[in-house]
Amino acid sequence: MKKNLCLLLVGALACSMLAACGGGTTSTSAPPASASSETTSPKTLRKPMVADISTMDVQHTSKDYEVPMNVFDRLFEIKVDDSGAASLVNNLCQEYTVSEDGLTYDFALVEGVTFSNGDPLTANDVKYTFERMLKDPLCVNTEAVDPILGADALLAGEADELEGIVITDDAHFSITLAAPDASFLYKLATPACSIYNAAVTEAAGDQFGIDPAVTIGTGPYVVDSWEVNTAITLSRNENYWGELPDVEKVIVSVIPDPSTQSMMFQNGELDLLDLDYLDSSVVNSTYKTQYADNLIYGNRLAITYMSMNQNIEPFNDVRVRKAVQMAIDRQALLDAVYSGDGNVEDGIFPRGLVGHNPDLEGTITYDPEGAKALLAEAGYADGFTMQFDADNSASSSVMLLYQIIQQQLAEVGITVKINSMDESSWLDLRSSGDMNSFIGTWTADYNDPDNFIYTFFGNEEKTTLRSLNYPDTEVMQRVADARAIVDTDERLAEYADLEYKIVIEDAAWVPLFSRQHLFAVGDNVESFIPFWAGYGDIIYRDVTLKS
Amino acid sequence: MEEKKMDLSQSQQEDLASQIGDENGVKDTLLELLLHNKLAVFSAVVILIIALAAIFAPVVAPYSFEEIDPMARLSPPSATHILGTDELGRDVFSRLIYGSRLSLLVGILPTLVSMFIGVVLGLVSGYFGGKVDYVIMRLADIMLAFPSLLLAMVVMYTLGSSTINIFVALALINWASVARVVRSHTLSLKESEYVEAARSIGVSSGIIMLRHVLPNCVPSLIVLFTLNVPSAILSESSLSFLGIGAQRPAASWGLMVTDGQQFLFNQPWLCLAPCVAIMIVVLAFNFLGDGLRDVLDPYMKNQ
Amino acid sequence: MRIFLKRLAGMLVVLVGVVLLLFIMLRIIPGSPVTTLLGERASQQVIDRMTEELGLNDPLFMQFLRYVGNALHGDFGTSYKLNRPVSALIMSAFPNTVRLSIFAALFAWGVGIIAGIISAICKNQQRFRLLSSLIDRLFMGGALVGVSMPVFMTCLFLQYFLAYRVQLFPLSGFDQPLSVVLPAIALGWNSAGTVARMTRSSLLEVMQADYISTARAKGRGSAGIILCHALKNSMLPVVTMMALQISSMLSGAVITETVFGINGIGRLAVTAIQSRDMPLLQGTVIFTTILVMLGNLAADTLYSVLDPRIRREG
Repeated sequence: MKKNLCLLLVGALACSMLAACGGGTTSTSAPPASASSETTSPKTLRKPMVADISTMDVQHTSKDYEVPMNVFDRLFEIKVDDSGAASLVNNLCQEYTVSEDGLTYDFALVEGVTFSNGDPLTANDVKYTFERMLKDPLCVNTEAVDPILGADALLAGEADELEGIVITDDAHFSITLAAPDASFLYKLATPACSIYNAAVTEAAGDQFGIDPAVTIGTGPYVVDSWEVNTAITLSRNENYWGELPDVEKVIVSVIPDPSTQSMMFQNGELDLLDLDYLDSSVVNSTYKTQYADNLIYGNRLAITYMSMNQNIEPFNDVRVRKAVQMAIDRQALLDAVYSGDGNVEDGIFPRGLVGHNPDLEGTITYDPEGAKALLAEAGYADGFTMQFDADNSASSSVMLLYQIIQQQLAEVGITVKINSMDESSWLDLRSSGDMNSFIGTWTADYNDPDNFIYTFFGNEEKTTLRSLNYPDTEVMQRVADARAIVDTDERLAEYADLEYKIVIEDAAWVPLFSRQHLFAVGDNVESFIPFWAGYGDIIYRDVTLKS
Repeated sequence: MEEKKMDLSQSQQEDLASQIGDENGVKDTLLELLLHNKLAVFSAVVILIIALAAIFAPVVAPYSFEEIDPMARLSPPSATHILGTDELGRDVFSRLIYGSRLSLLVGILPTLVSMFIGVVLGLVSGYFGGKVDYVIMRLADIMLAFPSLLLAMVVMYTLGSSTINIFVALALINWASVARVVRSHTLSLKESEYVEAARSIGVSSGIIMLRHVLPNCVPSLIVLFTLNVPSAILSESSLSFLGIGAQRPAASWGLMVTDGQQFLFNQPWLCLAPCVAIMIVVLAFNFLGDGLRDVLDPYMKNQ
Repeated sequence: MRIFLKRLAGMLVVLVGVVLLLFIMLRIIPGSPVTTLLGERASQQVIDRMTEELGLNDPLFMQFLRYVGNALHGDFGTSYKLNRPVSALIMSAFPNTVRLSIFAALFAWGVGIIAGIISAICKNQQRFRLLSSLIDRLFMGGALVGVSMPVFMTCLFLQYFLAYRVQLFPLSGFDQPLSVVLPAIALGWNSAGTVARMTRSSLLEVMQADYISTARAKGRGSAGIILCHALKNSMLPVVTMMALQISSMLSGAVITETVFGINGIGRLAVTAIQSRDMPLLQGTVIFTTILVMLGNLAADTLYSVLDPRIRREG
């Protein structure tokens, strides 16, 4: 027995010595291999993500778009030209025509497109993809295909096929809508409308989007491996039907801690860093000074707003809402929190979005005295108490926004309490329509005003979901009807009218600002174009590396 | 983080219990002996100072813990801000003081509650034995089987992340080890002559437990208390560090570390100050606990 | 042997209790996990459909029976967030946690035992009293500081200084040979302090014993005594405690794995909480609980095997 104990002890000591020796040798060895690059190795892009993705099946997620966007193609896509303007261009779709009533679209697919396993792309794949979005109970994105004739029936399980899609031959098909939808083609360009391989996807079952081997697309990249909570590796699809991208290999590592990401970038272990996750003062003090030449500014088609729940007193009074709009110094907010990287917005449609109304700029002014007068008029001369409900998973910058607004509102006599909770409770509370007030940001899914105004003011359900409880059903009906206006100018004019009515006259929310999206790229990156809408997701073919 | 608690395996706990159980005059000499341990006395003074600062935080702290100053963000330590300001321009020193409220409260309150639960269950379990004992002890086994931080995380998941729920979570997870110690005391005292005597003259069970059994548990309860407080403080800061504890803008040391870690390079005080504060408090409680254990444990006393 | 089997049976009872308690705790939460799962863009129709699909509308009792039934077949459900079987996720993360813990334990035991021995020798040293006492106090002070340091603090500072400022080790990940060094030190740090204190006090205790006095009377030196006699007799509580530390290692690993981006059990638990992934959280907690129970069993068994007194009594 004693012998055993001795052995154990000696073992432990020996091991610890070995460990100590191991530690000793490490200090003399070279720094991590990442610094050295061999000429023969493929052009590799190393980038982080803060959390692993749920799935590569874009129909099953409303968050994790990056991998699907690079692995699959869509019928259309949004291209940013040199001037920074974004426009819709054909991708898998060779050409299309629209009927005069705006209901029927005839599409022709590009010829010779193959999936990465060699299968040719056919019209049947498109039909299969769109039907799956409605049939599969795990699919969360139905918005893009909702307008198609028969979508409701398929979603409710009353039909087996999508009535509105008719296949003419392998390369031609038509889509008929239930009602005209001016933004339909833009919706087809959203990540959710990525085209799948009918045979492979069906055979893969629930492994599609999970197992890289069966997650097959026509896109410029293929997934080599996916190690959960560790990394996803992609390589260039050498059989890609279009122009081959420059980056040959992509390693997306899961690095949960943003400051670790930042340290890794500075040590040369990462080539691309999304600065959204870092505090703006770090961006200011470190990245804007030491890495000024490595910064890339992208536009963000997103509006940050402060909500006011009209079911909760005193926000049912338009004068109070107006006063709050006037009591917040938005430029100071933007300067303090985001070092001025963005623009103050005065409506619903931010800069860069189709339908943005430049005439509205400057309509809402910072006027604390005027705000006090309005409050007095509404019977709140002594102010009132309100509450912000904050999502604690948001960044510290958002917390700073809450606190600066708290101070600004205090100056006109409004006392603000900040109550923060976890994301799930926050979403639940907001969907119930009972949330007090919050700061949110909405980023464009597709470049059309409908994507913004309908989300918040489209109907009673929508306005409750965001705890806005905008009461004017007539205005909301107009918002819904605007979708069907075929003439573009007429439609945009209607949106401008509605925007003025909702934000300026009814003061339904406080538009704050739109921001730029900053990225830092390594010295080995030649060029990089951020995603047109300002998402953090990277289109790898928009990155080129120095050789 | 809970190794202090886990140090005491069941058998050791029973050792401790039996050793202390025999000591009767221990209360009188406790203070006297403790005063000989300079480190323990010093620690007690440190804890007292921090406690006073926490109680009188509005008076002691130069600024409010949530007062932001966008013009003075990330300013280095200076005469106006002793420990500088954070990324929102809040005074770090003031936040530390207000944060000590949470840390001390979270260390002491849930520990007291869990000790109360543990004492009651331990007394009942040891005194009555049988099925009651079996059920309570299996329940204690269940609680002890969870790694404590994970259990706290699960409770936070259930209750939702908020400052108040940390108290509930920590109170719920720590009672089991207390119950075990009290139970083994009770078991050994139950058979003692004076308890038998009391029972024979018809003193009720409740009074026997309160008058005769409980007082004998006090020394080991004191030791357990000083061991559980720092572990609760560490648990709180860990939960807050992971983002499932205290919520912004509350001043919590763990939260301050999380927020400060981005600034380790340029503004190291943001991260360092709360880390050092946690260490000082935990260290002080550990020294005090050590001192108390030396006094209360006849074993160590001989050395 | 009979005691061992009895304990094993007791463990099973406790395990069932753990599963039941956990199951109830995770189901009484307000709000549906589906909301977070789908994000802010999902419509109510889609949310309802998903709730039905996940079986969250069934009575709680039914859900529990189904869960236990499946768990007996090794099926712990499918993670909401990661869309994979929970058992597969745990099995992929487990080797990393084990590797991390083993290296952390080696660090803790190596450093702790050596520091404890040195400290005890110094404490018992008759010559150079002042210096010896200073060394003893230094080591024990260091051990207490080690015990008092929050794990995240050790992690952050090791990462910052040894991986960022001096680029000796990788900042994050677990794929390079040196990746394990910093996380293991960070995780072992606290335990090293505990082991050191335990080793010292245990050694000192044994050295008071009669046979050591006898050896000393025979004129053998203090250091020789310690290595020959005292050490092997004083290791009993230390070895027992090492097994008990599995629990604290697993708790500490939650933070270490998060800071260093290691795909381990602790990271899975944090991921599960952040994304309200009930099956994953349930699976990881049950799994770690079983580990802790096995560790405690090992500790008790070791104790009774190593300590002749207990063996005789049993």
